[in-house]
Amino acid sequence: MFETCVEIREHFSDYLDDRCAPDARKALRYHLSFCDACWQQLEQMEAVGEELRALPRRPVPPDLALRLRVQVSRELNKKPWSQYCAEYWERFQEALRPFLLPATGGVLAAVICFGLFMGSQVAPITDVPDVTVQLVTPARVQELAPMDFNTGDNGLVVVTQINAEGRVKSYQVVSGEGSPEVMQGLDRMIYFSHYQPATMFGKPTDGEVILSLRRITVRG
Amino acid sequence: MGTARSVGITFEQTLPAENAEAAFIAELRAGSQDAFAHLLAVYQNPVFNLVWHMVENQADASDVLQDVFVKIFKGIKGFNGESSLKTWIYRIAVHEASNHRRSWIRRHWREPVSVDDPDSPSAAAAAEAASRERRPDQVFEQAEREVVVKQALASLAPPYRTVVVLREIEGMPYEEIAQVLGLAEGTVKSRLLRGRELLRRKLASYVGKQHV
Repeated sequence: MFETCVEIREHFSDYLDDRCAPDARKALRYHLSFCDACWQQLEQMEAVGEELRALPRRPVPPDLALRLRVQVSRELNKKPWSQYCAEYWERFQEALRPFLLPATGGVLAAVICFGLFMGSQVAPITDVPDVTVQLVTPARVQELAPMDFNTGDNGLVVVTQINAEGRVKSYQVVSGEGSPEVMQGLDRMIYFSHYQPATMFGKPTDGEVILSLRRITVRG
Repeated sequence: MGTARSVGITFEQTLPAENAEAAFIAELRAGSQDAFAHLLAVYQNPVFNLVWHMVENQADASDVLQDVFVKIFKGIKGFNGESSLKTWIYRIAVHEASNHRRSWIRRHWREPVSVDDPDSPSAAAAAEAASRERRPDQVFEQAEREVVVKQALASLAPPYRTVVVLREIEGMPYEEIAQVLGLAEGTVKSRLLRGRELLRRKLASYVGKQHV
């Protein structure tokens, strides 16, 4: 089975550990029966194994054994983070418990006071119209005086200049009949009408109003 | 030539029975103080012996042993039972010892080495001689043998040394060594053969004097 000593020595380890197949074991024993060199090497290898097994076993020094027990005990008693957090939370709650009733009363009192105070601060609703927030507003006619005069068939178009106080500064007839009767009636009507002045950034200023007047006759 | 090996080691007899191991692991996971005390009682000596053979220094072995048990404590909840508890513990021990050895080499490669090693077998044997009242020549013969064998073992490259220690000193079967080291069984076999052969060459003259 085995051709050379080198080949047979590859199986010494298995032979010593009793892991050789029966055939290999038989062949090895046969080879050992006549090969002194291999026999000697196998004996040496076995002797080395015996020497290793004869080495004294080192027990753990007593102080180390004690340290190990202490260390394991410490590790066993070490609490996880979650437990630490739960404990601190519980302590925090316990510490706050005496303040629970006063704190609740304080909060309720604060809410009531706040409600009362804010109630007094609510702005009342008034009839005063709001100030326009537009940058520029044109002058407007608030109320046209009910004067009757003949404007002619084509009517009249008048440009009226209104000052910051809402009074007419001047007017100009742009189109229409300008007879003395008509102009007299127009004068009265413009004089007795009410105007709202133009505004710029909320302040009254000069402006103009264009009036288109036409007499309407209704038969009753 | 007898080939049957006696690998009976004290802790082997006190290990929890296979069917009780699951219950024991459950106790450990639950954080039972008694279970951890039992774990320490059963495993601290064999693990210390293994680590000591790998790092060759009692102070370092002590540090590694503490690290190993801290890792065991922290990792027991993640232990899924794919291997036995013993295999898992030995795997952690071998890993920690290897890491420690690597970091030790990085830290101390420039430092001079003291010739007065307080952990040497001679010192231990002298202390033992005082306590057991053995004949001085027997004590020193024993001490010399230990020194020679230990030096030869220490001179092996770490992959071979680890396999030889697990097989010859801890008496582990090949399958378990493969599981501890995360290697194929064939690799364990070849490393063991190579390690034994290297040791035989280093100790040839010594064992020849003793046995041949």
